Formats: sequence, C-alpha cells, structure tokens
Amino acid sequence: MHVIVVGCGRVGSEVARNLSANGHEVVVVDRRAEAFRRLGEDFAGTTMVGVGFDRDLLEAAGITEQSAVAAVTSGDNSNILIARVAKETFGTSHVVARIYDPRRASIYERLGIATVATVAWTSERVLRHLLSVGSTRDWIDPSAKFTMVERRVPADAAGTSIASLESAIAGRVALLHRFGETSIPAAAMLLQEDDQIHVIVSAGNTDLLDQQLHSEGGH
Amino acid sequence: MKVIIAGAGSVGRYMAEQLQSSGHDVTLIDNQVGIVNNRPKDSKRGVTWYLGDACEVATLEAVGAADADVVAAVTGDDEDNLVVSLLSKQEFAVPRVVARVNNPKNEWMFNDMWGVDVSVSTPHLLTGLVEEAVTVGSFVRLLSLEGGKARLAEVTLATNSPAIGKEVLDLGLPRESTVVAVLRGGHVVVPRADTVLHAGDEVLVLVTGGAEDDVRKALVG
Amino acid sequence: MISARRKNRGQQTSDSGGDPVSVSIAEVQARQLVCVTGKVTRMTARPTSGQPALAVTVTDESGTVTAVWTGRRSIGGITLGRRVAIKGMAIQRGAHLEFTNPSYTLLPR
Repeated sequence: MHVIVVGCGRVGSEVARNLSANGHEVVVVDRRAEAFRRLGEDFAGTTMVGVGFDRDLLEAAGITEQSAVAAVTSGDNSNILIARVAKETFGTSHVVARIYDPRRASIYERLGIATVATVAWTSERVLRHLLSVGSTRDWIDPSAKFTMVERRVPADAAGTSIASLESAIAGRVALLHRFGETSIPAAAMLLQEDDQIHVIVSAGNTDLLDQQLHSEGGH
Repeated sequence: MKVIIAGAGSVGRYMAEQLQSSGHDVTLIDNQVGIVNNRPKDSKRGVTWYLGDACEVATLEAVGAADADVVAAVTGDDEDNLVVSLLSKQEFAVPRVVARVNNPKNEWMFNDMWGVDVSVSTPHLLTGLVEEAVTVGSFVRLLSLEGGKARLAEVTLATNSPAIGKEVLDLGLPRESTVVAVLRGGHVVVPRADTVLHAGDEVLVLVTGGAEDDVRKALVG
Repeated sequence: MISARRKNRGQQTSDSGGDPVSVSIAEVQARQLVCVTGKVTRMTARPTSGQPALAVTVTDESGTVTAVWTGRRSIGGITLGRRVAIKGMAIQRGAHLEFTNPSYTLLPR
C-alpha cells in the first residue's frame, strides 16, 4: 500500500518505520528536514520536505484514491487541513488525523474524518486505522477462543442493524463510537459510515466480520 | 452589528478600531498573552479583548459567537483562519464569515468548504491593485465574494477597446455580470443604461458564474 | 416525536454538550441547536469551487429543510426515502434554513 505520513515526530516516525518494514511504500513529509533523522539510516521509504496540505506536494508524493494518509503533525489544525485535502481533493479514503482537542475531534468526525485522540494515541492505533482490514486485535480472552477487534464501518455497511450484524457473525458489538461519543449500542441501532465499532467475536470469525462489513447488503 | 475578530495583529486591531468607531460591538481574540496585556490603554470603549485560542469551540462560545453577525478570521496563520471559519459557520451558524489569506497558495481553500463567505488575500489584492494601476486594457480580478462565486474585477479601457463609445446597455454583457461603477478622471460615475464609455475609463464589474470570458470580450476585445 | 420543548437560545453549539431541542421542521429557527426527524426526499450534488458537496432535503409533515455535507458525494445509507434524524445548528441561507455537516442518525423504516 502507498502511505503518506505527514509529521515525522515520535509517532509519525514509528508509523513510517513500521509500515516500511512491512513492505508498504511510505512517503514521509515534514516541514523540517531534521525531523527525518528519527527514521534511522535504513529507512526504505522516501522523505519530502514541505507542507502536507499543499496539493502540489501531495501530488508529487504520488497520492491516489488508493493511498493512505496519516496526518500526525503536532498541530490539530494542520492535521485537519491535510486530512480534508487528501479526502476531498484527492478522494483518498484511508485517512486518519491526530487531534489533541477531543471537542474538535467530534466536529471533524462529522466531516467523515477518522480521528485519533491523544489519550489513545499510539502508533498502533494509527496503523490500525490505515490498514482497516487488519489482523490487529484489541484483546484476546484467556482461552484464546474470543477476541475483540476494532473496525471502521465502510459506507457499504451503513444501514445494517447491530442485531443483524451480531447474528451474522455470532458476536457482539460491544462499543460504538460515533461523532465523538462512545456508547454500548442498542440492537435496533443502524450502523453508519465511519462508525468505529469494537466487536467481540470468536477468534475464527474475524474474516466473517470483515466480509459482512464490506459486502454490499440490502439494508 | 456584533463582530468577532480572531487575530489581534495589526490587521485585526485596525479593523476593530474602524468597526468600533462605526458603532459596532467588537471583540478581539488573540492567544498571545503579551498582545492582550499590551493592548492600548486608551483602547476605545466598546472593543472587548479576549485571551484565548479562537480555534477552540469554548473560546468562540465565551465571546458570544452564537449571536455574532460577523466573524473575521484575520490571524497570520491560514490554518487557524480556516479552522476559525469552519467552527464559526458550522457550530455557531454565523451569517457572515470573512477570512484573511496569508499565502496565496492556500487561497483555493478559502470558500464554503471551510465556511468562508469572503476571503481577502492581501498579496493578491495588492498585486491586483498594482496591475490595475499599471495595466491598461486587461481584466484584473480584485476581490472574490461568496466563497468564490462572485468576483469583482476591473478593466481600464484601452483605446482599442470594443466598448469605447458604446452605451452600457449596448455592451452585450452577459446576464451574470453587472457594471458596478465607472471611474473617470477621479470621479465615480454611477453607470446607467445610457452611460457612454470612453477610453481610459476604469470599469468595475461584478461577475458571477462563468461569465468572465464574455465580459472580457466585451471590454477588452 | 416531539418531546418537551424548551426555549433555548443563547450559547449552544452542536458539540457543547448542550441538549438539542426536538422540533418539527417548521419550528426550526436559525442558530438554535435542534434535532429534527424526517424522510429524505431529495438528494443533489452541489459542487462548488471544484469541491464536491451533497445537499439532502429532509421532509416531515410540517415542512422541509436541507442538510449540506461539504466535501462528499454520498453518505452511506442516506438514500431517497430513508428516515433520518438530523442534529445541528441551522443557518439562514437566503430564504431558507440549512444545516451544515450536521450529526445524523439513520432510522429504521
């Protein structure tokens, strides 16, 4: 996958190194060239000095609809600009932005931008967002039979009820995060595009969950 | 009118002073303690100063954005100006949002995507004014309104302009445009249908939609 | 679906934790945090300045209102006939009221 990481701080550099080590094509952008030192000598990706919401720069970085973009600079405002330009100008669907201010985060979620707040801030969460269908798990029970995974609901799955998803995967949607609020969803609630759900499912059924979320159902 | 100005630099302070002396209720927001503390002691009554980050909903709430008529985002930082505009429009439904463009490269974002009704790019404006001063016979864009949907432009009629000797009515200007004013010999002529244009007239037009080319043809040739 | 109506002007924002007032569409006033429920009766693409935008008309027995989402061409689940609840701050656009990027909830038929 082609990934553009804007902001080469602690988390940005970790995300970039991790993705590159896993074989993804990574471009790291930062306003200051010195920041790239964090990437280390053997970083296989490319670096570009510049402003991440500059259209010319993103184009030069090779952005396409299939790219993934992580806006992880130290400024909330920059991150939102980067995320919106990537999403709205270039049609990139895998975009995640780091937002320190949780109140602003909920506002941006209404724009359809996945945000990761500082409290839950780890490079792992960013990676999980970028690689939405992934093998990362939140938790696995002691018997190793059940696991809890986090997924972002794609547009195709919008309108599916919690009850019908749960029954299809023989699991439970434990938590739903939408527009800045987290709740334990009622069975009759309908999933919406960009919802973040934590699902408890048997360890063997995570693929089934992903199938259910990514198939075009009649809702 | 209640006006909130984000950014108490020279632009913001100037605006505050001007607006307050016209009788408006003005609040200036800045997040630099030094600037707020060093505000002019003879500060005109009526300008409220607020220390805070205008990009935060809590700050906008505290200064009463909920009943502001205008928010002007005029900091020296385009990102801040865009975010202030978005929050003002989306969270507080402020009827009119004006924003300053510092870097012309960012101008493309200053429209309704970010809640901006009117953007002013000082470098762009200055360039336009310079062009307007030195160029005769070309179409100079001065100002963008309504999120880019309308533009104020200026043409100084050259001697070979097809508009010379014609009445405004006969210019063949498209419906989506209108002649706003004609500057002639230091006077402003309010154009009427039968106003005749002369070489050297500075014609100010308001253009919407895709009418620019037709307007250019009518005035420049 | 009208619950207790409170007179709620003043400082409220969509995400301030202030509660929206549930009203019928005809009762929506500009600059008041409200929640309305209705059916999607029209969807239009409204690109401006080269960026996409989606305008959705929502109708209940009392009237219609428009919700506009900037930067998007579609929203999953928002289709003609869908029942939705919209929560947001309406803004006066000329003669009518509009919500900009409001929160929304898809409702069962």
